[in-house]
Formats: sequence, structure tokens, C-alpha cells
Amino acid sequence: MNKLKIMVLDDEPIVCKRLKPALEKQGYEVDTFTQSSDAMEQIKNVNYDIIITDLKMKGVDGMQLLTEAKQLSPKTEVIVITGFATMETAKESFHKGVFDFIAKPFKLSEIQEVVSRAEAKIRGE
Amino acid sequence: MWSRIKKSIKRLFPRKREKIAFQQVFEQFQTLLQNQQEAMELIADLGEKSGGDYIFDRKYLVDSISELQDLLLRMVKGLNLISSERYYELYSTLDRVFSPIEMELRGRLALSNAPYVISLTEMPLDTPELTGGKANALGEIIHKLGIPAPSGFVITNRAYNRFVEYNDLEERIHSWLELWMLGKETLEKSSGQIRYSILAGIVPQDISRQIRDNTKTDNEFWAIRSSAYGEDGDLSFAGLHESVLNAPATQIPDAYKQVLASLYSPEALTYRRQMGMIGEEAAMAVLCQEMIDSRASGVIQTLSLESSQPNCLAIYAAFGLGRTVVEGRDSSDRYIVDRAYPHKIVFKRIAKKESFVRAASRGGEEEAILPEDIQSKSSISESAVNSLAKWAMALERYFKRPQEIEWAIDSADHIWILQCRKLAISPEQAETDGNIREQFSTYPILIENRGVVAHAGVGSGRVYIVNNHGDMSVFPEGSVLVTKYTAPWLAQIVPIATAIIAEKGSVAGHLATIAREFRVPALLGIDNATEVLQNGMEITLDTHHRTVYSGKVDELINFERVQSMVFEESPEFRLLRRLLKRIASLHLIDPYASDFTPGNCVSVHDMIRFIHEKSVQELMEIPGSLTHFKGAKVWTLESDVPLDLRILDLGGGIDPELSGNKVKIEQVRSLPLRALWEGVSYPDSWSTRPVEIDFKGLMSSLTRNWDAAGGGAVNAGFNLAVVNELYMNLHLRLGYHFNLIDATMYEQAQRNHIYFRFVGGVTDLTRRSRRAQVLSQILSNYHFNVLIKGDLVVARLLDLPKEEIKSRLHVIGALIGFSRQLDIQLKSDQDVDQFVEQFLNRYANLTKSLPGGGKDEQIKDYGLGR
Repeated sequence: MNKLKIMVLDDEPIVCKRLKPALEKQGYEVDTFTQSSDAMEQIKNVNYDIIITDLKMKGVDGMQLLTEAKQLSPKTEVIVITGFATMETAKESFHKGVFDFIAKPFKLSEIQEVVSRAEAKIRGE
Repeated sequence: MWSRIKKSIKRLFPRKREKIAFQQVFEQFQTLLQNQQEAMELIADLGEKSGGDYIFDRKYLVDSISELQDLLLRMVKGLNLISSERYYELYSTLDRVFSPIEMELRGRLALSNAPYVISLTEMPLDTPELTGGKANALGEIIHKLGIPAPSGFVITNRAYNRFVEYNDLEERIHSWLELWMLGKETLEKSSGQIRYSILAGIVPQDISRQIRDNTKTDNEFWAIRSSAYGEDGDLSFAGLHESVLNAPATQIPDAYKQVLASLYSPEALTYRRQMGMIGEEAAMAVLCQEMIDSRASGVIQTLSLESSQPNCLAIYAAFGLGRTVVEGRDSSDRYIVDRAYPHKIVFKRIAKKESFVRAASRGGEEEAILPEDIQSKSSISESAVNSLAKWAMALERYFKRPQEIEWAIDSADHIWILQCRKLAISPEQAETDGNIREQFSTYPILIENRGVVAHAGVGSGRVYIVNNHGDMSVFPEGSVLVTKYTAPWLAQIVPIATAIIAEKGSVAGHLATIAREFRVPALLGIDNATEVLQNGMEITLDTHHRTVYSGKVDELINFERVQSMVFEESPEFRLLRRLLKRIASLHLIDPYASDFTPGNCVSVHDMIRFIHEKSVQELMEIPGSLTHFKGAKVWTLESDVPLDLRILDLGGGIDPELSGNKVKIEQVRSLPLRALWEGVSYPDSWSTRPVEIDFKGLMSSLTRNWDAAGGGAVNAGFNLAVVNELYMNLHLRLGYHFNLIDATMYEQAQRNHIYFRFVGGVTDLTRRSRRAQVLSQILSNYHFNVLIKGDLVVARLLDLPKEEIKSRLHVIGALIGFSRQLDIQLKSDQDVDQFVEQFLNRYANLTKSLPGGGKDEQIKDYGLGR
């Protein structure tokens, strides 16, 4: 079985640094970005199965990235991570096309569980 | 920032002490308790986040702190409201406590207020920005692990900035670097010019004076080493910077400059350029350690880099100072030792050592020839090899990565750790190919997706089940601690455990805190752990999947080992730990000590403790001043017990159908009062052997006292209970002593408490103190936290479920009758034990209702009651 490719985008480096090994250990291939413009470029070149993105970032925000990613590859599943306070707004404005939402701070096991569900959907299980 | 708030508060609550109705005070107190609980939960959350199971960012920290500050402000207001502004000082305390916390969050605290020079024993931890990586690591070794390291001090990064500024070096350094970067000047020329400028600089007096202050010891010679930020962390500057060994104290400033200059050596500059750091502001802290008169010294690598020796560590040793070993290992003794306890020596090679390096008598080092008869002798004993291996593995466990450690043995055969850093592993050695998940899917899983993570990580070893104190003394270092309990006494073996699995416990509990302190991966709440896991089984715990594997999962351990980041070392976690130190630590312990004042509040926890204690005191004392109850309806309790009790109902405490002014206990709806009265009414409670002083006489004399103190609308001469359905505040005057009980019985355990205060009496202080002893021993037996001062007894219980509170109120009820004449009967110290025993025997049935087992977790009280 091929490894799924995951992109992680968050302007707080700690989020990327901690998610990468945790997801790799689960058997995924993981690229991380702290600059949303870099991530925007990258999705034009690489087809990611799953994108995990923060919502509020300088420059291109999570919403724009989601739109672009879905346009390029409708099969890509997007998981949005956002601050607890902005969760409701996030859910409202994103009701289409987002696989799931996770509020910060979150446990590693929470995101691993969401990613496993996204994987099951992608693999058509 | 408070001045505006202060003014508006002054307007709202003028300083004049006014009587506020008890109802209002009580409501304010409830709000205060609620705020306090939220604040403590917030602190517990922050503590939990420091365990690594969560991903959080800086914003989370900023938001939590601002919420905490808001709650504290409300608590300060609340206390001032119920005390008629007696604690106005707390507003400035709040300001003082939170201002460094805000500065930490802004990120510049470390340098702006820091000293130029600080001793290793006093230096703050988690501040490598100030003290550099090497010194920070040594600080942790000394403070947390208790492994011997030479004493000394750090010349901080702030001193570096001061030195550069004092000598006008910034511009000069910058322009020489620029010329080199632009290719207009050679590396050697730029480096040489910068180093020359530094060596020609003057160490400012304020720095040199502080250096002198730190060198007033008998040991005249010092080792001066670089401690650059990042040096021993992710980046490895190993060997790039200079060390000066065996320098006399008077030459420290010169040696300091020499070490600073090495920050701009051609090698260091090339390295920083490769790492893309040349544009960043460089700074260097310098570590000064007392010179160890080394008989032998060397290096340990906690992971042997030779692939033929998996699971081994390597020790290199030679006579004299360490330079021989550091610079070339061919002529050193080499020991290959099992990483696992008891650290068997797998292989040893004793080299022929013709010369050695020693400290020259006037400072510096010199090479000398070894006498022929010891050239082929081993430089260290096997027991030293064993101790070194043990400490080395403790260091690796703590720092979470294979370590390279420099050590020395002095002429008295004491072993010292000189420095330790991350061992550089080449990419080939670190390679983990293929699908890591598939690789360890072959290991049988013993526990999966269960429990709560107290501290995150991977730990492997043999199971050792600890059931009692006795098991602890034989706990093999590096084993997995498996236990039914989370008792505080386990704390002493946590540092030597490689992982912890407990059947009970919560992430806010004591064991979790200790596991975090020593960075030991810990999974709690696995209810059958001691059945699934047997003594001696080799297992691997991975908290990230809350999984326990059978066997040693090398693939997983290697995977963890080569990850770029140890979460404990990341800036966010360091910041959180620094914040927690200012928030969660508790310094105000004894509410009756003279230092229990707002001025002595150091942390947020101290403030919460202070406010809590004072608000309870205020609440408890208010019913004594009857003007608060002007016009209130007071019920008289009809009972066979000779205790004249009046009840003031705040609402819901008495059957609403009832008219008149008399009430039977069956008509009382207040749960705490009913529980207490059950205890009061136990047969025997009021019929101890007759005492010589007439009970009624005492009652009448107390009536007079009460009358004099009171004098409000309510008739004096009785005991008063202020109640609602879930609350009771009881003031008793029995005999000449004064007893106060305040209790709540909510559904939520965290809202519950019992406070018990007992003071006074007719006899001399000695007898009254004996009575305090009796009460204290009895109450401790029922898990109260008890404090005695002379004849004053204060006992507390917090956070217990309703049913537990109920059984404790039974005890207190029984104790009221039992204690009323106790001081008269306690004629000698021997009587104390006898009376304690008498009570415990008589009310043996009350003990039965108490929970067994997890006592320590039950009595968790956020530290408020201790």
C-alpha cells in the first residue's frame, strides 16, 4: 500500500515540528510549511492526499489554501486546525469541503484519529 | 495599569468598613470559590500541557494567562468586598506577580533584567538564552538529577552584550563580517581582526567585580568554557569554541575574552555560515567551573557508535586531565558497557599510556611522562565504570538523546560530571527506512488506547511492580515503574525509572507533576496494569499511541532518538515551564505564620492560597458579629442533645412549609447540618464519664461572653448555624472553647470543603495544647490536613465527593461532644494517646465508611490545604 502524502501548514513552527514525527510514525509521508505562500506554491507541484492547515496566518490564509487545493485536486481532504475561540466561525464559513476541524490546543491522539478517518475515506474503506 | 481600576474600585467600595448583609457576603464568597476553582483548573491545564501530550502554540499561552489574570482580579475584588476592603494591598500584589509573567510572554525578560554573572546553584533553569546551552544543561544536572558537577558560575549573554557595547565592538564586528561575506576580505583576515579587537577590549568593572564576588573560594584554579546558545542543543558547535583550563582566579577576565574571541574563530564562522546563522546576532555565555584535580578523566558516549556493539555505551578514560581523551582516543582505555542495568562490561581495552596531561602549578596545563609501572594499568576502577554508566544513562533518559559526557575523578576518588551534550550521530547511523509503522506492528500489544498521558515519550525496560516502600529500595535503575497507586512516596524512584505505568492517578495529580519534572514518560489510569504486566517482563511504552508493547521495540526507540526535536527543549515548552514556575509554585504554606501576607506572595498560586484562606476566615467570622443579621429570622433547634442551637436559613436550609420558630432535625434540609447532627447525636457522644466542672455553669458563663460580643437584634446566648441546602457555617461556644465548622456538600467534589477550627478553654495552655494534640491525631486519622498552633487547631479537607464529606461530618459531630471537656481531663501527656484511642475505638464504625486504597489521589487538594 502506498504511503499517503500529508501537508502540514501552520505559522507556529512548534505545530509542524511536533506533527511531523507523530504522523510519520503512523506511516505517512509528511511535508511541513510555516509560510503559507510556500505551501501555496507546493500544492501546484505535489498532489497531497491530506492537507492539515491552520486558519489564521499572515499572507495567504487557510481559506484561500483550501479553495486552491480543492480546485487543483478535489480528492484532497483538508483538516482545519484553529484556535478554540474561532472554532464556531470556522465551522460556519467552512461547512463545505472541509473533512474535519480541530481546536487548538489539541492532543496528538485527536489529530491522529481524524487523519485515520480521512485515510479510510480516501482508501474507500 | 491598575491605577484606573483602583480608582473606580475606590469609588464603588469606599474604604470605610461597612457591614454587609451575610446573604450578600455569602453569595460573593460562592463566586469567589467559583473563580478560584476556575483559576486552579486553568493552572492544572497549563501544567498538563507541559507534559507534551498536547500541541499548543504561543497564542494559547497568551490567552490562558490573560484569563488567569482576569480571574485573579475578580478574586481580589471579591475578597475586598467581603472584607470591607481590608486587603487593598492585593491590587499591587497582583501587579507585581503578573508583570514578570507578561514580560516572559513578550519574550525579553531573560536579558533585560538578568545579572551579568550568576552562580550555578542560583541560576534560573530553562533560560539557555541567558546562560547558554552548556550551562543550562549543567544547571539541570545539578538541580534536577543531583549528579555531582563542579561548582561555578556563568558569565551571561547579557555580560557579552555589555562587553561589546562598552568596547564599541558591534560596528567593527559587523563590518568585518560583511567584508568577508561579500568576498572582499579573507576569512582569516576578518576572523583575526575581530578576535584581536575582542582580546584588546576591556572587561567592564561591573562584570569583573561580579566575577570576583563569585571566586572567593579556596579553589584558586578555574576551567573556563564556552556556553553559546544553541551550542549543545540542535546545533553542534562541539570543539569549535575555546576552553581555558586551570586558570588562576585573577586571570578569569583574560580567559573570558579568549573564550569570547573563539566565537569568531575561522572554524566557528564557517560553521555558522553553513548553518545560515551568520546574519543573526551572536552572543556567548561563558561557564566558569572550579578545576577538579583530576587523577583520571575522559568521555562517555551513551550509545557506542560502532555498529558491532548495539545496546552498549562507550567509556574512554586516561590519567590526568581530559585533553588526552578529547583530542585522540587511541591512547585511552576503552570500556564497552551494556546500556541496561546492571551495566555489565562487555569489552575492555587497556591502552599503554606513556604520558598524561596535568594541571601546572602556576596555572595552565602541562604534559608529563607516566611512570613505567603504571603505563599499562587501567586508569579507572570497574566500580567507577559502573557509576559512570549509571549516571550516563540517567543523563540520556533526562535529555532524551544519546549524550557525550566529559567526566573526571579526583584524587579522593570522587566522580564529577564536567559537561554533557547531545551526541552527534551521523545520518547513516540514524537512518530509519521503510514504513516505521509496519516495522513495529510485529510486536505484541499489551495495552492499547487506554489511560491518560501524564508525560509524553517512549520508554523501554523491564517491569518492576512497586507495592510498598520496601520495593523502592531495590528498584532497579532504568526499569519501568508499574504501580497500583500514585502515592507521593513514589517520587524518589521516578528519576531512575525509564517509564511509569500506574493503575490510578490523574494528569493533575502528584505523580504526574513529578513525572514531568524528571521527564519520565508516564501513562496513568490503566486499571489492570499490575495484572497485565508482570515483574521482569521487557516492555516498551509509547504514550503517543497510549500503547504498551511486549519486548524492546528498537525501531521505535531509534525513530524517537533521531527526531530533530526533543519537545521538552522547544522554546514553547521552556516558556511554559518558566511561566509555570511563576504561576503554579507554592511558597505560602502556613496561614498562621507571620510571613503569610500579600507582600510574600511570589506566584499566582500563592495569591490564590492567600485569598482563599482570608475569604474563608472572613466568612467564618462574620456570624460572630451579629449586626450582619439584623432582622433575620432565626430558628431554634429542638433536640435532646444539650446544645442550644439556633439556625439562620439563607434559603433552602429549612422545610419551607414550617411555621413558628422551632424546628426539629427532620425538618432541617441543610445536608451538612443534618450530617453533622447525626454525629452529634450518636449515643455516647454526650455521656463520657462525668466531669467535675458543671456543664450548665459553663454554658451560662459563655452566654455572658457571647452577649457582650454580640448585642444585635438577635438574642444572644446560643450557638449559631448559618445554612442553606448545601452549606453550613457553624459557630459553637461550648465551655470556654470556641469551635467553628464551615462545610459544603455539592454534587461536584471540587466545590466541597470542610474547615474546622477549635481554640480556647478553661484550663492552662499545657492542657489545652494536649487537647489540640488529641484533636489533631483524630482528625489526621480521617485524612484531614491539620495544623496546630498552641491550643489552636485548624483542620481542612477539600475536593471530596458529597458522601465522603458526609462521613467526615459524622466524625466532627461525634468529636464536638467528645471534646467539650477534654482539656480538663488531659492531666498528662500520656493521656493523649489514650483519648485518641478511646475515640477511634468508640467510633470504629466511622472508620469503616472511609475509602481504602487510593487515598492520596482522593485527598488531592490543589495544594490549598497543605
